[in-house]
Amino acid sequence: MAEIVGALGVPHTPFFPSLVEREGPACETARFFASLTRELEAMRPDLLVMYDTDHLNTFFFDNLPIFAVGVTDTFRGPNDEPRAVPVYTITSRPDVAGHIRRAGVEAGFDLALAQEFTVDHSVVVPLHFMTPRMHVPVIPVFISGHLAPLPSARRCYELGAAVRRAIESFPEPLRVVVVGSGSFSLEVFGPRIAPGKSDGVPDPDWARRACALIAQAQYDALIGESTPQQLAKAGNVGGEILNWIAMLASVGGRRPKFVTPQMEQGHAYAAWTWS
Amino acid sequence: MSTYAVNYLCREVLRDHAFRAAMKADPAAAIAKYDLTLEERAALLAGDVATLYRLGVNAFLMGYLPRFEVCGLTLPIYNERIRSCAGDAGVEGRH
Repeated sequence: MAEIVGALGVPHTPFFPSLVEREGPACETARFFASLTRELEAMRPDLLVMYDTDHLNTFFFDNLPIFAVGVTDTFRGPNDEPRAVPVYTITSRPDVAGHIRRAGVEAGFDLALAQEFTVDHSVVVPLHFMTPRMHVPVIPVFISGHLAPLPSARRCYELGAAVRRAIESFPEPLRVVVVGSGSFSLEVFGPRIAPGKSDGVPDPDWARRACALIAQAQYDALIGESTPQQLAKAGNVGGEILNWIAMLASVGGRRPKFVTPQMEQGHAYAAWTWS
Repeated sequence: MSTYAVNYLCREVLRDHAFRAAMKADPAAAIAKYDLTLEERAALLAGDVATLYRLGVNAFLMGYLPRFEVCGLTLPIYNERIRSCAGDAGVEGRH
């Protein structure tokens, strides 16, 4: 059977690749991503399952699923031209993805099917840093985290638990790492951006609180406090924490090996490892 | 729901490089074929992102306008105008 061997929480800031290209491997962002890459390589993954919120680049207002699974041999991205990132072809595992979707639907989650799609920086930027050879297949599981009404935090955690059971029932000895992509508090191009910038952190207290709850493995408290009002207060991408919450259903209540906050961006880098 | 058309054409500025060039050269002609209200059309051509935001246009998508410098927008101009809506945060959540 497939086995979940670790989990990661990652940011996906679109200007990080150009920042690291400019500032080099000693800069903070490069070092923080390198710490994740070391953990990921030690996990020897055969497959990544990534919870992600698209920024109206994969899906649009013509058809906007609350939850969707990418079921395809390959997909390409980024489709939104972040600087210093090539357009990659990323391999996937449609057999595992289809199994996750079937098992999820059977468990009561109405998972939309995406067989032909491209992805934006929110999937590709973390991979650009962690698996730039794109040698590890990736299954994206999309959660609508930007446009109200959002799915509840509890629902996202339960989705994560259903996906975990699905992975663990797949009849092939795969080593799977689950990834949650996104910020805790961030406004992008909305009214709460900082003067002179394209983004801002509207609720740094919440970003610190989320980090503290994750560091202490108080996941139930995190779910309880991640109300729609709190996520809206955290900024127009504040709902991206739902990707972390879905990922947390894979860690079995364990504490992270580390949570490294980067509070001026309202996000963190975290790893869970156990086998 | 004509904000759909504004959202759509903002995304086309990212996706369709010929449309991006047309928006730089002659935005009034470039948006002529889209089904916009008079208010939306005027706000878009004026780079009045505060009005567009209040009408319900998505902020990520409007971000492509200063990013590619169309409709007279640069990041400093966009920043100042969108921040003038700070009391209206959450308007774009209406869907």
